[in-house]
Amino acid sequence: MLSDCAKEKIKKIYGNYSDLHSVSMTAMQIVQREIGHLTKEDLIEIAEMLDMKPIELDEIGGFYTMYNVERPVGKYHVQVCENLPCALVGAEHIITVIERHLKIKVGETTADKRYTLSRVQCLGSCGTAPMMQVNEEFYEDLTERNVIEILDGFE
Amino acid sequence: MVEAVDDKLILEIDGKEVRVPFGTLILDAAKEVDVTIPTFCYQARLSGIGSCRMCIVEIEGQKKLQPACITPVMDGMKIATNSETVVSARRSMLEFLLSNHAKDCPVCDKAGECELQDMVYSHGQRKSKFEEKKISLHVKDYIISPVIIKNSNRCVQCVRCVRVCREVVGRGVLGSVGRGAYQEETSFRKGELDCDSCGMCIEVCPVGCFMRLPYRYKARPWDLKSAISVCPYCATGCKTTLQERDGEVVRSIAFKGLGFNDWLMCARGRFGYDILNSDKRLTKPLRKKGDGFEEISWSEAMGMISAEFAKTSPEKRGGVATASLPNEELFFFQKLMREAMGTPNLDSTSRWSGDTAGAYMAATAINEGGRTIYKAVNSDTVFVLGTQLSEENPVIDYIVRHVTDSGRSNLVIVSPRAMKLDATAHQSLRHTPGELAKFLNALILCLYEGDAGGLASLEEVGLSSKVSIAELAKLAGVTVDELRQLSMRLKRSETISILAGTDILKLDQGARGLRLLKLALEAMGKRLRILPILDRANQRGAWGMGVHPSLGPGFSPLSDDEKGLDCYGMLEAAAAGEMDLMYVIGEDIAGMYPDRAFAEDALSKVGFLIVQETFMTDTALKADLILPGALAGEKTGTFTNQVGRVQNLAPIQSPPGGARIDLDIMGDIASTVSKGFMDDGCTDIFGCIQKVVPSYLNIDNKSTGKDCGSVISTDVSLEAFFNVAESPGAVPTEEYPLRLITGNHLFYSGNLSSYSDILGSLLKEPVAEVGPETAKALGLEDGQNINVASEGYLDSFRLKISKGTPAGVVFIAENYEDKPINRFFKRGETIPLVKITS
Repeated sequence: MLSDCAKEKIKKIYGNYSDLHSVSMTAMQIVQREIGHLTKEDLIEIAEMLDMKPIELDEIGGFYTMYNVERPVGKYHVQVCENLPCALVGAEHIITVIERHLKIKVGETTADKRYTLSRVQCLGSCGTAPMMQVNEEFYEDLTERNVIEILDGFE
Repeated sequence: MVEAVDDKLILEIDGKEVRVPFGTLILDAAKEVDVTIPTFCYQARLSGIGSCRMCIVEIEGQKKLQPACITPVMDGMKIATNSETVVSARRSMLEFLLSNHAKDCPVCDKAGECELQDMVYSHGQRKSKFEEKKISLHVKDYIISPVIIKNSNRCVQCVRCVRVCREVVGRGVLGSVGRGAYQEETSFRKGELDCDSCGMCIEVCPVGCFMRLPYRYKARPWDLKSAISVCPYCATGCKTTLQERDGEVVRSIAFKGLGFNDWLMCARGRFGYDILNSDKRLTKPLRKKGDGFEEISWSEAMGMISAEFAKTSPEKRGGVATASLPNEELFFFQKLMREAMGTPNLDSTSRWSGDTAGAYMAATAINEGGRTIYKAVNSDTVFVLGTQLSEENPVIDYIVRHVTDSGRSNLVIVSPRAMKLDATAHQSLRHTPGELAKFLNALILCLYEGDAGGLASLEEVGLSSKVSIAELAKLAGVTVDELRQLSMRLKRSETISILAGTDILKLDQGARGLRLLKLALEAMGKRLRILPILDRANQRGAWGMGVHPSLGPGFSPLSDDEKGLDCYGMLEAAAAGEMDLMYVIGEDIAGMYPDRAFAEDALSKVGFLIVQETFMTDTALKADLILPGALAGEKTGTFTNQVGRVQNLAPIQSPPGGARIDLDIMGDIASTVSKGFMDDGCTDIFGCIQKVVPSYLNIDNKSTGKDCGSVISTDVSLEAFFNVAESPGAVPTEEYPLRLITGNHLFYSGNLSSYSDILGSLLKEPVAEVGPETAKALGLEDGQNINVASEGYLDSFRLKISKGTPAGVVFIAENYEDKPINRFFKRGETIPLVKITS
């Protein structure tokens, strides 16, 4: 169920786009911010608002790693880029370090529901590889040491 | 660069010179010189995506290979389709496609007719270098509709299913979810589909990813016996190939290149075949005994007919044969009635009067010969009028969508309720049900605004011009602006096609308006084509064969003393005790006549009622004698589709048990009632038809599997039918404020489809559709149970809110077996008034 607040926010940005379909990505982001993921019902409701088919939003959600469709995530969603520039400077190692530190595998959430670890595609910060995004913040030039500090630094 | 000659580009494909127009794709250019380029994701009629890379070709001067299915030709191109580079690249592409394919051919339904199998066989290699574990998208096959089961592990990501659903069917319920190797073409969250269930995704799937659930594990393609026939569910006339194994018909399939429909078919055509396997079929002649029936032999049945026939007089006999019989049977039926039984009382429907049918035939100029649907819809404006095209004739809906989406035509829809095609239309008008005549009148006045001289000529033929456009528009439920916009559109077009549907017949209104519109547009110099859009497979054939109370074979008007009663007239005579014998073939009068109580009463008063049927219909229940007949998939003959194309039927099986071919039964009856009638009767019925129906002269009914040809024009005048009165429509009252419209459902048409278990599984609950405004005014919610009541009848339905349907209108489909919609009607009513309560 979309909150009234989310609906208001979506309606407010209609004017920023040339047609309703173009609102879809931002609308999905607005809704996802509320609980960290999108439910099936959310997609149906957004589709209804934007005069689209729910499957079209499902396609968007399935294509971009930034959307968590029917996939609840922890308070901190740790998204490590796995594409080539990051991979060349040790992204795989970073992932292993995080897995070991949080005691979860990629795709899992810690038992206390604080962390979820995901592999994602290029986040456009290749110059500072390896890098990750936690919720909506970038953390760059990761090393074995600072990545643990960063994760432990969250409240 | 070489100058193009005749606006054509000259290029070379595999050393052969080709001349093609600008914009031609390399793939199509290659076809011109018989060079076959293998394809996968390519599908004619769908947008090109060039994703599978099977069709790559080498172009001189370009380093990268190019996909032939999306690359347009350029002047002077030198293309190689079979060079070493191409062959090796193609082999690698197949290797990639197979790298994640399940390769479970031994248990796959598609094996034997699989495009991937064929392609690997002819272009692939034996070994793969990929040793990685295959990606598995799911473990068990999953069901996404009562007719579709999916195995995504076989998917080759050609996206044909998604494209066909969006671009042809216009539903767009499938999508590509995920990316890269994990991309899966499926329904929303892999859930149950709410769609047309047309199975088009199954038909275009090159592999065994989308599969028919009812066909699953039933047969291998090489075990099947086929018969190429015509779909019996509407007058579109789609070619269908019926296939059986061990005496059970297991599927109906549309093959590319067969018939005008190619691989297009709707839910009824693709899944309604199972009536042929039904165990509810009538298999023995039955005689009324007390409240029930007893089985008798055919000779006893003929004996009964002989005895009862002798007691009757010609003017008190009559017959109705459904317009779903082939031409040969319908022609013989009218001969049997008129000559052997000596009565002029005959009809091909119980849903509208003979005069209404005549007016419709005249308005659509049905005697002027056949047309080609593709040519017809390729006009500047396609005008859909009085038909619920998306549900009644889904394949025409697909064709119209394709043509208008490609930007070649403007599409205008005028109908009383929303339909799927609205999304494609340039203008959709909603008129008040039963006010089509006023709408057309207003439109013509709009066309002539500022041209009084032109208008005067139409007044002479019956246009009323004394009313203002505003007044007519208000009564018709449209705005003057909408009318002016439509009139501008028509004025700007040079060629116009009007698809005129059965609302004109069912609501007994609009035929005169359509004729006036035709005169008006032709006077303006427009090239106009009117296409009848009908809902019974051989309605056009039935009229052409002379199964009409006042038209003989070939639409020849009968003199006054040759004319007989139509079905309405016969029922009225029966109700007055003036009908001694009625012979009804395949027409469910009790289920279809708009006033069920009256029809049932009239039928029970018929002296001797013979019903020849395939299933126990409500009409059959009233019969004194039931004769078991055959279905379209069990006989030979020809159907004439709505646009005049004649096509052959071929039997896939013989009628079950003691049931017989209808033509043979009629032959027996003819010789029973008129000794010697069959002796000089011709053995080649089609030859006899050609002798008296000149429009069939060029038809070659021996050309099996292919088209027999299209009917040609006959020189007869149907103008006289315009003088008959039309229905005045209905005015809502305070107590009954809603207008009820009825019609065919996407999954049901005619009484036959209701005996299909597969079609039945697609829609379980009868629904009543209203627009959002009506629902809001009544405080109703989608999906709740409601009661719909007319003055004489009340029944409960599930409510469906359909966007785009105007206020004050309720739609309920015909043919729900336990919700006989014709109970809402009172005799003579075309639009019953109803109320809805929760």
